[in-house]
Amino acid sequence: MNEKRPAIGFTCAYTPLAVLEAAGFSGHRVLPTGGQWPDQAGRILHDNLCPHVKKVLDRALCNDLPELAGMVFMNSCDAMRRLYDAWIQVRPGEPALILDLPPMVTDRAIAFFAREVERMARSLGEWNNVEVTDDALAQSIGKYNQVADLFARVRVRAAEGTLSGGAPRLQELYNDASSQPFSETIARLEKVLTEAHGADPAAGGVQVFLFGNVLPDPGAVDLFTQCGARVVGDDFCTGSRLFAPLEVRDGEKPALALARSILNNPPCARTFDPEKPLALAQDLLERARACGAQGVIGHVLKFCDPYLARLPVVRETFKQAGMPLLLLEGDCSLGSIGQQRTRIEAFVEMLR
Amino acid sequence: MMYDYFNNLVTGIESTLVAHPEKKSHRKAYALEIARLGRRLYTEDERIAWCGVLAPFDVLNAMSVTSCFVEFVGAMLASTGMVPDFLQEAETRGFAPDTCGYHRAVMGATYKDLMPKPDFCIATSAPCAGGMGVMENIARHFNKKLYVLNIPQEATEESVRYLADQYQEMTDFVTQHTGRPLDREKLREAVTLSNEATAIMEEAYRLAQHVPSPANGKDLANFGVVMALLLGTPAAVEVARAYRDAFAARIERGEAGVPGEKVRLLWIQNRVQFKNEILDLLETENQAAIVCDELNAITWDPIDPDDPFPGIARRAISIPLNGTVKRRVKNLQKMALEHKIHGAVNPCHWGCRQGTGARGMVAEGLKQVGVPVLNLEVDCVDTRNYAPGQIRTRLEAFIEMLTA
Ligand code: SF4
Ligand code: SF4
Repeated sequence: MNEKRPAIGFTCAYTPLAVLEAAGFSGHRVLPTGGQWPDQAGRILHDNLCPHVKKVLDRALCNDLPELAGMVFMNSCDAMRRLYDAWIQVRPGEPALILDLPPMVTDRAIAFFAREVERMARSLGEWNNVEVTDDALAQSIGKYNQVADLFARVRVRAAEGTLSGGAPRLQELYNDASSQPFSETIARLEKVLTEAHGADPAAGGVQVFLFGNVLPDPGAVDLFTQCGARVVGDDFCTGSRLFAPLEVRDGEKPALALARSILNNPPCARTFDPEKPLALAQDLLERARACGAQGVIGHVLKFCDPYLARLPVVRETFKQAGMPLLLLEGDCSLGSIGQQRTRIEAFVEMLR
Repeated sequence: MMYDYFNNLVTGIESTLVAHPEKKSHRKAYALEIARLGRRLYTEDERIAWCGVLAPFDVLNAMSVTSCFVEFVGAMLASTGMVPDFLQEAETRGFAPDTCGYHRAVMGATYKDLMPKPDFCIATSAPCAGGMGVMENIARHFNKKLYVLNIPQEATEESVRYLADQYQEMTDFVTQHTGRPLDREKLREAVTLSNEATAIMEEAYRLAQHVPSPANGKDLANFGVVMALLLGTPAAVEVARAYRDAFAARIERGEAGVPGEKVRLLWIQNRVQFKNEILDLLETENQAAIVCDELNAITWDPIDPDDPFPGIARRAISIPLNGTVKRRVKNLQKMALEHKIHGAVNPCHWGCRQGTGARGMVAEGLKQVGVPVLNLEVDCVDTRNYAPGQIRTRLEAFIEMLTA
């Protein structure tokens, strides 16, 4: 039975989804895919902003959104905060909130972010006329962790090649999970895990690890498969980063646990440890190696400063380590990644 | 090479002023201090910190650290015409041409060994994500410790405390690298000097509101942004005073910054840093004076010298490129009204997401107070794609529209 909850839109994998559920909502990730919208966002923002952000704004401008009780944005990058600014201008009067998100992981930053999480809980509570108690938050974190745990198990199936539908199916599951209540996702994933082992369309393919920011179209993931790759792991904010487990320490306030876990989970390029500048490059390399990848494909969106500033060192690190790397740039659309088919095929061929 | 460049600049200006005291001017005072800072940056034995734009330079000055935001190097390379080689170097190393030219230039300078090796680095999360990425790269390249200041978007009691605590921690970080603990008395003096300088700068900006304005585009270019580097030192007070007195004297003499001023313009965000004909075209050919720059605003209150960190935190949070566009627009509207502006120019610096991302909202906000905006498409640092003919046509059409 579907659980009916009003939906809150969000656009970034750093959004504390457990707070949405604790306030009686469910999250709805406004993805930059789906429709064909006229390109209007560039006039309000600028053409040189990341296509993820522009497409989300285009959806808002075209009213191509489900019914939303509000929006929660994260101050994760310049483009994202401009999206918030534009959103409140084009949809005045609708509840919207932006949370400050520290770029670094320190105790002080975590404490600050925990207060932002509490502010979010208060605002959402007001939007829904409920009080978001610590108990409700703790319960919601528990459910979130169930989702994270189930996804970890589904990922294992995908990596070993026994998930029917393979990596594109996993992507569909991520997309669905980002737009429905936790309970529905839990039921769905439990069912997936009881399925008989299916055939992986990519069986026998070259093992690759994917990383980047936003690539939600299952068709895009399928393209890698068609090019002869078998995706054995990913690091995308529309993929594995979306449901990373939250650690709750004994006696810790849920908001603090959320803040600490979210900032400590595998980061997108915008978050880093000042003690280890550019550790992202080494981390990605180690994760790729850990899942037995023969090569790595990075797919980043055009104009994404957090990634663009780190790619030179990623490239250098991979080169020194002898890990083959293909870097692609796109605009989230299947069309743009489709244009790179020859490069992907050549890369996969080289790895054989 | 860079030491010689700045040293020649310093000695050149100094000897001109000795030989021709009548040539003393506010702009020379400003140029001299910038050259002195440049020389210190390339002097051995100085304690050097490469920083983000919003580092508290008065605190660092009080701790005897020669500090500078890295974008300064990009602007300098552009102004001296040397930038293409450095941009090329950064691009060869994988920095996308779509990123901010200031940052590409500074990365090129880093790779080409033009940047003095810092003792440590201080990044600031505002104004931009690109700046953070570059600081991470610079810290790694030089293998130096990095401290990150997270500038919150809004000045709530909590966020001000959060940033103030970071400043306190930053001073411990600095001490670890310099061996010099923070001297509270020196900090007090530095903050008092900052307050004095900013109060005088405010007076100068107020004088610039006069019709006709005593200010012109050359006077105001980069002024507020670069003055931040001098805050906390007597030099900042001296330069600010030179500006105020020059403007007051021009008003007294009935002299306009742009003779025959017909149109008053507001410049949004960055100036175009390389040699170009924009000012000539506007001011000499069309008597369209730039009478204020967005980044010259003093958006904060005087800072309490006895408890400076909360006030310094409010200052960083208040700058127009931090926070929401709503706040930025309010600031621009106020500026436009106070300066009796006819039109605004927004160069929309290619690669600056936070700046260009506000383009439409800024134009809409200024329209609400009757100020049309001309959006130019330009990279303020990268000379290679500059199209002077196109810029001329657009500016001329804009001035024509404003004067019709
Ligand atoms: S893809 Fe990059 S620029 Fe776009 S929202 Fe994500 S981090 Fe920001
Ligand atoms: S121009 Fe924009 S992107 Fe470049 S340094 Fe300034 S704020 Fe950052």
